Amino acid sequence: MKTRHELTEILDFIAEYATYLLGSGVHTSRAIRNSQRIGQSLGVDVQLSSFQRSTILTVRDDESGEAITRVVRIPSLPISFERNSDLSALSWDALDDHLPLAEIRRRYDELTAKPLIDPIFVLLTVGLANASFCRLFGGDWTAMAIVFTSTLVGYAAKQRMQAHGVNHFLIFIISAFMASLCASVALRFDCTAETALATSVLYLVPGVPLINGVIDIVEGHILIGCSRLINALLLIICIAIGLAATLLMVKDSLL
Amino acid sequence: METFWNTIAAYNAATWPAQLVLTAIGVLLTTLLVKRPSRGVRIAMKLYMAALNFWIAGVYFLVYCEPRQYHSPQALFWAIMGCIWLYDLAVKHASLERTGHHTTFARVLFAMPFLYPLCSLALGRTFPEITSPVMPCSVAVFTIGVMLAFSERINIVLAMFLCHWALIGLSKVYFFGIPEDYLMACSIVPALYLFFREYIQAHEGKATKPSVRVLNSLLVILCLIIGGFFLFTLLHQLDLFAEI
Repeated sequence: MKTRHELTEILDFIAEYATYLLGSGVHTSRAIRNSQRIGQSLGVDVQLSSFQRSTILTVRDDESGEAITRVVRIPSLPISFERNSDLSALSWDALDDHLPLAEIRRRYDELTAKPLIDPIFVLLTVGLANASFCRLFGGDWTAMAIVFTSTLVGYAAKQRMQAHGVNHFLIFIISAFMASLCASVALRFDCTAETALATSVLYLVPGVPLINGVIDIVEGHILIGCSRLINALLLIICIAIGLAATLLMVKDSLL
Repeated sequence: METFWNTIAAYNAATWPAQLVLTAIGVLLTTLLVKRPSRGVRIAMKLYMAALNFWIAGVYFLVYCEPRQYHSPQALFWAIMGCIWLYDLAVKHASLERTGHHTTFARVLFAMPFLYPLCSLALGRTFPEITSPVMPCSVAVFTIGVMLAFSERINIVLAMFLCHWALIGLSKVYFFGIPEDYLMACSIVPALYLFFREYIQAHEGKATKPSVRVLNSLLVILCLIIGGFFLFTLLHQLDLFAEI
């Protein structure tokens, strides 16, 4: 049987663990499964209900039947599939090896303290990825080079604005506008300018919220699934506004 | 092509006194930054850089390049760079103190705006149909020089803007046959390498992923690819000359 203090400690850890997962791009049912697995390893039942910005978490001691509930805010974290995978593996280790809470906490701190990918590396690889998109959509080498540098401009601006805490909808509009404005230079040259313009903003497409939204709805978490899809849709509208501003300026029309 | 040189001729013919004044202020401020750097000089330099960018946006692109297609996006491009300098001044991002790094390379870059008209004259053009020190590519090269010689913390957004402009310069060489733009393309590749290398070195003590060595290697590969593009354009240009 657990004391109230022990139960609170377990709840606090699982709340931190679950919100970390939800904040860094994990779909809801995976976060629930992992949290319940850790709860099982510690001898408690975990029930979790998640919304876009917060999570309600209840931990119940199997022996005494005592339960504690907490509402926790979901932090905004950079998406990291490697970290998500590490944290999932931690939940399996906790269950298989019957790890005590102190050991799980130590490993969790170790995993979350791992360095994130260098922003400059991300900047360059995003540029290369977007140039590759341009090629996939039929762009020629000149268009690819223009999309590469345009993405560098847009993404560097996005990184700076994120560091300064600018509203993320505004960030998407400005980044899309800057990248497409730079890509519009392709119109002056004999190259696949339309492809360059269209693909210059693809790096902004919110793929993770879109995929997670669909998975959440399919798995029965309708509310958070819809919230995620609406959020993704708003971001796509922001991209469209940025791109439309450039098109209206350089072509006097949207088509 | 003809429109391109006509707009340049109109711009030079109408604004050469203003260009002389702007160039003199640039030389004065750069000398002061080297010899007697003070807070006032640093602020004046940032204001000058912003004004120079707004000049290119407003006077060069909006007024004199009006006959060219798609001149307004380019004007906006330079206006954004002007705004970045003002933002830099407001948030005190780059100190504009002498770094003591790459002094020789920075000096070469400072000389570039004066090389532009000489290059044009060497290619057989005559005033006013020549590239001048207060034109987009000359200003871009000068900006890279200022950033290399005086900025400990590089404004990465500005560096990316200049990188994009250099690519346009390279495309102009390839498509329109304007060899003066080689100067810009020549300077941006090593400058970009130095910008990023300094950034990577500044983070050397910190735990990063991938490691500093991998980042450096990636940087070298990227610069080699850009250099390859440059070489290809050069060979294409030589081929053009041979055809002429």
